[in-house]
Amino acid sequence: MKIHEFMTKKIEFIDSNKSVYDAVEQMVDRRIRSVVVRFAGKETDYGVLTSRDIVFRVLAKGINPKKIKVAEIASKPIACIDKDTDFEDAATTMEKANIARLFVCDQGKVIGLISLLDVMAAELVLKARGNHDI
Amino acid sequence: MWKILSGVFLGWSLGANDSANIFGTGVTTGIVRYRTAIWLTAAFVMLGALVEGPKCMKVMGELSRILPMEAFYCALAAALTMTALTFLAIPASTSQAIIGAVIGAGVLSGSADFSKLYKVVACWVFTPICGIAAGYLLHQALGYAIDRTVKSFTRRNLLYSAGILVAGCYGAYTLGSNNVANVTGVYVGSGTMTPEMAALIGGLSIATGVLTYSRRVMMTIGKGIVPLDPFSALVVVLAEALTLHFFTQIGVPVSSSQAVVGALVGVGFVGDVQTVSFKMLKRISIGWIMTPVAGGVLAYFLIKLLT
Amino acid sequence: MIFDRILSHGKKEREVVEDIKSHIHLLCFACDTFRKSLEKGDRNLMWEVIELEREADSVRREVISHIYEGAFLPYLRPDLCKFVEIVDEVFDLLKETAFYCVENEVPEPLRDESIRVALLNFRMCEMLVISFEAMLKGEDLREKILAVRIFEKKIDDIKLSLVKDVEHVPIENFWAGKALSDFLTGLTMISDIIEDASDHLQIINVSTR
Repeated sequence: MKIHEFMTKKIEFIDSNKSVYDAVEQMVDRRIRSVVVRFAGKETDYGVLTSRDIVFRVLAKGINPKKIKVAEIASKPIACIDKDTDFEDAATTMEKANIARLFVCDQGKVIGLISLLDVMAAELVLKARGNHDI
Repeated sequence: MWKILSGVFLGWSLGANDSANIFGTGVTTGIVRYRTAIWLTAAFVMLGALVEGPKCMKVMGELSRILPMEAFYCALAAALTMTALTFLAIPASTSQAIIGAVIGAGVLSGSADFSKLYKVVACWVFTPICGIAAGYLLHQALGYAIDRTVKSFTRRNLLYSAGILVAGCYGAYTLGSNNVANVTGVYVGSGTMTPEMAALIGGLSIATGVLTYSRRVMMTIGKGIVPLDPFSALVVVLAEALTLHFFTQIGVPVSSSQAVVGALVGVGFVGDVQTVSFKMLKRISIGWIMTPVAGGVLAYFLIKLLT
Repeated sequence: MIFDRILSHGKKEREVVEDIKSHIHLLCFACDTFRKSLEKGDRNLMWEVIELEREADSVRREVISHIYEGAFLPYLRPDLCKFVEIVDEVFDLLKETAFYCVENEVPEPLRDESIRVALLNFRMCEMLVISFEAMLKGEDLREKILAVRIFEKKIDDIKLSLVKDVEHVPIENFWAGKALSDFLTGLTMISDIIEDASDHLQIINVSTR
């Protein structure tokens, strides 16, 4: 079993010139914890904005989210892995970079997302399968 | 020799009523066919009666000195008591009926030995208690052993099938060995027959009852028993058989129905389930008191009025 | 009857077990064929899926008649039959879904996610096979049941996005729309029924312990 079987394909994007408030609206509405930031003119240049970034770096500091652009607090570049990576490698990558999600990329394009929960679920399934050859 | 007819009738009704304790669950859940069950029961009852039946016969002679004619009336009184109480749907024990009758006869002739009666009554009290203990312990021990050793789905299925069969045969054997004394023990006490002859005739009469009239009782679920899974059903029969076998060695005939009820309660304790309804337990307690008293009173008056 | 069972050392039971195993393996194969057909756009493979449903029907009938000819203790028989019937329901649904694909192309916006669902359905069938074999050995099924549920939850998530995406697919008329809707419903309901089957295995497992 590979990463691409467990990844989430529905990725939400936001333009870098939008405000953090727009990002909050989008994330709350879609019930998601991160958005991929698209930079104008650069198709494979991505950043990521997470709920942690918003809460810790904007809201907790009392900054008005309407006055700050997404590009100012997004993290770049995003952490990417290949769609045929196995779960142990994905877990190691997440641990080394201390991040809760990895983007699955195919030729530079983001095609999916894998989270800590996905890695745990995959581990459970792999253990349940054991050494079975169907 | 016609005097043994009442005993034969008693044996026949015992066979018809008590065989349900052995293969009842097996037949009603479709594990064993009715015909297979009754032939196995009849065969093993005979075997038990012939091999160990004489062990419990001595007690009859010890309780009272009975004459051959009195033996006839005792067996008749017991048979009538059983019939009446069964009609009233009160669970009745053949052991209690016949011993009540023998004591009744002994009271009339002045030969009743109540010191021996204490031993018998103690065994009656301990029968359901032994059943409870055996049911509980066997369920735990056997369950533990099987869980560790037989994990395969199909093997377990085979084990339960074989187990129910073996337990049933053993149950029939112990029924024969312990209860044949109820049926023809009075004739040994009165000197009409040898223990071996009594065992043969008693065994045959019980077997006949099993073969000819056990269907109705076996098919009734109205014994106040909760439907059991095959393992618990197996344990109940095994516990009942072990209890009966134990009292055979002590030499006192006891009630197989009460042993079964005890075993059911014991198994119920394991799963914290009430396996026997309170209503049933109440009826059993009534039967406990009514059976020996009715047997005794009936025997007393039959002998007094007809001899 | 009981003597036959004991003296044959459980031959009838083994036959039933082998039959049920082939039934579930057939389901795995059917789901895999369905997925491949969607990926390659090969309608012949879809026809194979439909044929497999017919084959599965006759296996099911064999299993049930063997069971009622005397395999297993009577208290187990209804549960085993129920399990086989549930697996058969999956086949029926798979066949209906396949019929849509034979007649129609899956719209492009829905294609990728549909293939993903088909793959996850296949993975669930694999888990069902593993669970059945574990049950035969008397193993604990909790892990396996959980794995099935994880896949089913994943499919539920994809279903949500499919439902949103289908709104943007142009439809010719009501019946075309209904057929597409039925296809999506069927495709995503397969996992629910496989989950039912796996839950039922747990019931059988617990009742024999």
